[in-house]
Amino acid sequence: MSAIAASFTSLRFRRGLVVPLLVLVAWELITHYKLANVHLLASPTAVLKSFAVQAKEGELFSQLLASLRRDLSGFALGSLAGLLLGSAMGTSRVADRLFGPSFDAAKQVAVFAWIPLISVWFGNGEPAKVVFIGLAAFYPVVVNTYQGIRSVSREHVEVTRAFRFSRLQTFRKVALPAALPAIFSGLHLALIYAWLATLGAEYLLAPAPGIGNLMIDGRESMAMDKVLLGVILAGLIGFSLNAAAARVEAYFLRWRVRNA
Amino acid sequence: MSQSAVIDIRDVSKQYTVKNEVLPVLERLSLTINPGEFLSIVGASGCGKSTLLRLLVGLDREYQGEIQVGGQRVTGTNLDRGIVFQEHRLFPWLTIEQNVGLGLENSPWDAAKKKQAIKEHIELVGLTGFETAYPHQLSGGMAQRAAIARGLVNQPSILLLDEPFGALDALTRSRLQGELQTIWQREKITMILVTHDVDEAVYLGDRVVVMQPRPGRIRKVVEVDVPHPRDRSDPALKALTEEVRAEILHVSPEN
Amino acid sequence: MAQVDLAYKITAADDAAADDAVDSAPVRRLAFYYRRLLGRGVGWIVPALTLTLWAVASRHEWVAPQILPAPAAVAQTLLEQIRSGDLFLNFGISLGRVAVGFTLGCVLGVVLGVSMGLSRRVEDYLSPIFNAISQVPVLGWLPLAMMVLGIGESLKFVIIAHASLVPVAINTLKGIRSVPRNYIEVAKAFQFSKRQLLRKVVFPATVPAIFVGLRYGLTQAWLSLVTVELLASSEGLGFMIVWGRQLFQLDLVLSAIIIVGVVGLLLDRGLARLERRLLRWQPVWDLTGGGT
Repeated sequence: MSAIAASFTSLRFRRGLVVPLLVLVAWELITHYKLANVHLLASPTAVLKSFAVQAKEGELFSQLLASLRRDLSGFALGSLAGLLLGSAMGTSRVADRLFGPSFDAAKQVAVFAWIPLISVWFGNGEPAKVVFIGLAAFYPVVVNTYQGIRSVSREHVEVTRAFRFSRLQTFRKVALPAALPAIFSGLHLALIYAWLATLGAEYLLAPAPGIGNLMIDGRESMAMDKVLLGVILAGLIGFSLNAAAARVEAYFLRWRVRNA
Repeated sequence: MSQSAVIDIRDVSKQYTVKNEVLPVLERLSLTINPGEFLSIVGASGCGKSTLLRLLVGLDREYQGEIQVGGQRVTGTNLDRGIVFQEHRLFPWLTIEQNVGLGLENSPWDAAKKKQAIKEHIELVGLTGFETAYPHQLSGGMAQRAAIARGLVNQPSILLLDEPFGALDALTRSRLQGELQTIWQREKITMILVTHDVDEAVYLGDRVVVMQPRPGRIRKVVEVDVPHPRDRSDPALKALTEEVRAEILHVSPEN
Repeated sequence: MAQVDLAYKITAADDAAADDAVDSAPVRRLAFYYRRLLGRGVGWIVPALTLTLWAVASRHEWVAPQILPAPAAVAQTLLEQIRSGDLFLNFGISLGRVAVGFTLGCVLGVVLGVSMGLSRRVEDYLSPIFNAISQVPVLGWLPLAMMVLGIGESLKFVIIAHASLVPVAINTLKGIRSVPRNYIEVAKAFQFSKRQLLRKVVFPATVPAIFVGLRYGLTQAWLSLVTVELLASSEGLGFMIVWGRQLFQLDLVLSAIIIVGVVGLLLDRGLARLERRLLRWQPVWDLTGGGT
């Protein structure tokens, strides 16, 4: 039996299927026998139908692309800013002391709480959305970059002092490479949050092509199957982004020795 | 606790399987350890001495052959056989006296007796005054002393020590060796010490078992017929130390 | 900056290592005094500068006052809110929701983490659903949750509990899995029963990890609370933000945001204090169970 086939029939896999299958069955039953508020919950079959319709007529693909474009621009913006601040605070004690407390305080405010302000300061269009997405990506990148750089072992830093490395040299040759695993994990997290922020931005700010648009349409015409479709698609894309990020992370960190 | 019993090791062998390759660690080891004696086991790294100790205490249970204590086969750990590891392994979330008390966790004694025993053993290892300190507040030597107290507090008839002073500096090591000898003379229990330090082995042991590696076997058993308490500068001790050292070096010329 | 992950325990010595060598003596002396003088107060520089910039900007009306109200106006609104009792009402409601949701989430999280950590079987059954719940951020579940639960109190409790549960469960699981083998062998040598092993070794050794989870969970709870209130509530601090926006009273919005930030910070620091007191025995987490 091939390894893949073997893993599919393994006890672990079979046990793992139990709960998701139960959920799927429950979902179908609940909507079928109207056990819950059916106005708000569409059945799995209705969602599938909606998917077929949207794919054919609703330019599903272009909507998807629009969302992704927004997502990646915001992600790039936020990550870059995050890397800069995180590295600065990680390498310079002064910067840490200066910006640390303010950042800590700002970190406590939910990202979505900035939307009302953003909508006033940046309007309701694309720039506002990208700024918001950037903000969502910003926080995890700062935190993880900071921690990664600070976790460089003291022993290694002392070697750089023995060789009289300048700050920049220490950063480039020791701190940054050592921090790479943490930085990647921060970027990974940022990707997930950015995607969520994309959906949120599309849903809460002015309508424009995108998955969020799908959900707005559905909400307005009370077509719950459309809304649910949007949610599921969003979930699938999020899942794929996550998987892709994990792959990239694994590839780049192949050579790194994992800390036990 | 029962009086010290005879420890019988007969034809003991052990292998490790690594990636489909079988590595023999111990090969047909036989040894008898007399009650109340101090036995040192010494040898270069890889000779299996720590493995043997772990088999004796019961932390490892897979082996061929027989290990018997007082006629009973060893099938696991037992409160009658105490152990002191190379790392002190004190629980960081307990104070020193709580750590020492750990040895009495499963003892049938009443609270008062336990308290007394803990106090006595802390005194025995010279840590009076540090009862409420946490392990991180102690030096390495002090922590190891606490570990010894923990190993002795429930009065086992056999104490096994696996390179207990290996992680300490030379001066502390020297001092603790002397203290261990004093404790042994007082408690009169069987002690089995595994070490790579030849001086330590000869200074402390009644007999010194020299092991050779790959696979682990007993090369020679040297009798140390010097009365206690011993003086490190005793020429008889020095001569025996040289003899043991020669045995070890002779075994592995390429090491 | 607050530390989140057990793996990145930084000591004071690392601080020293991060400093660069300043060579000349006078410069070094200057730096020394500079450091002593500023010391704790450094953290206030950025907020102070921001405030000043803000005051200047609104004074000279670089932006319309509707878009950027003066700091004084915001302060005044804040005081009014306190005086009229509105703030305490909303704040109380928010805090109450967090209290319930966070407690729920923590208890569930610990139970989940412990059971999955101790039993491979339980882990096999629960893994997929647990991974789905933990890897999709809380907000991802919000639309679904709103569909199933509506927008009542139960939605808030569930969302907050979810947000707290994930980090607590994950860290608890990690903690249980990483109890040093060295300690377990000591327990074996002393003939500990399974129960004793769990009570006396595994759980105490896991407590630091649980605390890391709790701190992260509290932050997540506070964040998700505000978000849910933003999107699906008619009272609470999050609602204040949206409401202020609706009325185009940005001073209300800003004052609410400030409160949210300050309270969040206090909650986090408070828990950190608690952690330090309870875990006095732990200056450096040594995973070998022995000498440093």
